[in-house]
Amino acid sequence: MGVVISLAWREYTRFIRQPHRVIGSIGQPLLFWLFLGSGFTGSFRPPGMEGVTYLEFFYPGVLMMMLLFASIFSSITIIEDRDQGFLQGVLVAPVPRMAIVLGKVAGGTAIAMLQSLLFLLIAPFVGISLAPASLAMVIPILILTSVGFTSLGFLLAWGMRSTAGFHAVMMIFLMPLWMLSGALFPITHVPGWMHWIMLANPVSHALTLLRLPFHAMPGQVVGDPEFAVSLAVVLAWALGCLYLSMLRVRRVERGVPVSSSN
Amino acid sequence: MIDIRNLSHTYPGTRKQPPRAALRNLDLSVREGHFCILSGPNGSGKSTLFRILCGMARPSGGSVEIAGHDLSRDPMAVRRLLGVVFQSPAVDKHLGVGENLAIHARLYGLRGTEAALRREEALEWSDLRNRLGDRVDTLSGGLARQLELAKCLMTRPRVLLLDEPTTGLDPSSRRNFLDVLRRVQRERSMTVLMTTHIFSEAEDADFVAILKDGVLLAEGTPQRLREQLGREVVVISPRDPAALADRLSAELGLTPLRHGDELRLDEVEPAETLALLERILTRYRPEIHSISIKQPALEDVFIHITGGNGIKANGANGGNGS
Repeated sequence: MGVVISLAWREYTRFIRQPHRVIGSIGQPLLFWLFLGSGFTGSFRPPGMEGVTYLEFFYPGVLMMMLLFASIFSSITIIEDRDQGFLQGVLVAPVPRMAIVLGKVAGGTAIAMLQSLLFLLIAPFVGISLAPASLAMVIPILILTSVGFTSLGFLLAWGMRSTAGFHAVMMIFLMPLWMLSGALFPITHVPGWMHWIMLANPVSHALTLLRLPFHAMPGQVVGDPEFAVSLAVVLAWALGCLYLSMLRVRRVERGVPVSSSN
Repeated sequence: MIDIRNLSHTYPGTRKQPPRAALRNLDLSVREGHFCILSGPNGSGKSTLFRILCGMARPSGGSVEIAGHDLSRDPMAVRRLLGVVFQSPAVDKHLGVGENLAIHARLYGLRGTEAALRREEALEWSDLRNRLGDRVDTLSGGLARQLELAKCLMTRPRVLLLDEPTTGLDPSSRRNFLDVLRRVQRERSMTVLMTTHIFSEAEDADFVAILKDGVLLAEGTPQRLREQLGREVVVISPRDPAALADRLSAELGLTPLRHGDELRLDEVEPAETLALLERILTRYRPEIHSISIKQPALEDVFIHITGGNGIKANGANGGNGS
């Protein structure tokens, strides 16, 4: 446990000491939200969602984007750690391999939470109302989703040798996960093929979980059958990626077995 | 302390490259409390062996035991007694010296006053005591290496592995690093296995092993290895090494070894070296920049054993004997 905290602390400290990163990670989603939200508000009229402005609709989607980007940055630090040598010192240390995964994921999640909390703090000033009870529900959902994202990033980045290669993964795999999560447009009015992809996308389910407290009180949310299904999917996603990451870290480069010379 | 038995490692091939054997049936033992130097030309398998020893690669065959623990069966037990200094830095250069030491302590389960005591102990010999708050990327190369060593010593390893730890250091920093390493190693009777291709570093080792093409070519104390070579070497620096080598073998029946721009004659009877030098000098004076008789150093043993053309005379080989 000490190992996990200490590795996570390192991630967090490094982040906090780079003011550009802090400002960029808050500013970018804020601008996205402001520009896209304001731009689409005039034309966003999906049936059944009258009275919801695009700014309101997009708000949880932007929170999701923050988690995604926090995960991407955290994954890039894995590649840098390997490249700059820090990782080799951790790998030869007597620490359980799971602690290496959890340290990174906890660090990435802590950073994502700092960003989301700042974004949640400004909610009342931009016309998004969230009751304290709902807020208390949103936070654990954000944490769980962030664990899912960061451990997915971990799994993808572990074997990579260059950050340039990771950009490709980010653009053709991670970004679409977010785009097809219902963050930008509701899942209800898309072509059939896309509907299925979106249903299979764990990020859609994370977003479902996240949206519910914005529209209903926690009591109602928990009773919603959609909530139970989505929670199960997101839990499976997070735990599955954590487990696979551990297996990945445990795997050591192996020589070709000797056939005859022995 | 370190027992390597019949160790083989073959890297898997790719579409363009066939599988490549880096280690072939290697046997090597390092006794407890010994300072052992592992040397060999580039591509000899040193780094592969090092990666296997610190558990970052699993060998194709054979076994490694460290302090009685089988490396593949009980890696955790081995990691607990192992300290590793890598060739490239293994610290976070964005964090401070003290912060890096703190993380390292936690990785090895040290905390609180115990960690603080160990830190003091590990920094005692270093020049880092006033630099604890400084970021690692502000340290000089020599200090950064001291940090790597201090970090490892803090966990009091019984076995310390070092992979070309002095690469990139100036001669005085290198000397300083090795002096500290040797002193601490003796004080704690720590077992040390260090790879290097700088032979002046091996002169006071307890044991030297020379590797080439994944095979152990020679092992023993530096003294014994030097004796293997006979007593003296004639070193010639000619204008045209290739031409002179041909003439020496055709006209005098000698077998010179070419090493960079030098020719070496090292299979000469001790009593004959001076006469040989005179003979060569009278015959080929205009062809020769300089000629000398040299007491064999480990580097000469290495050149002799690995066949001379294994390493090019590059800037890294600083400490040539006289």
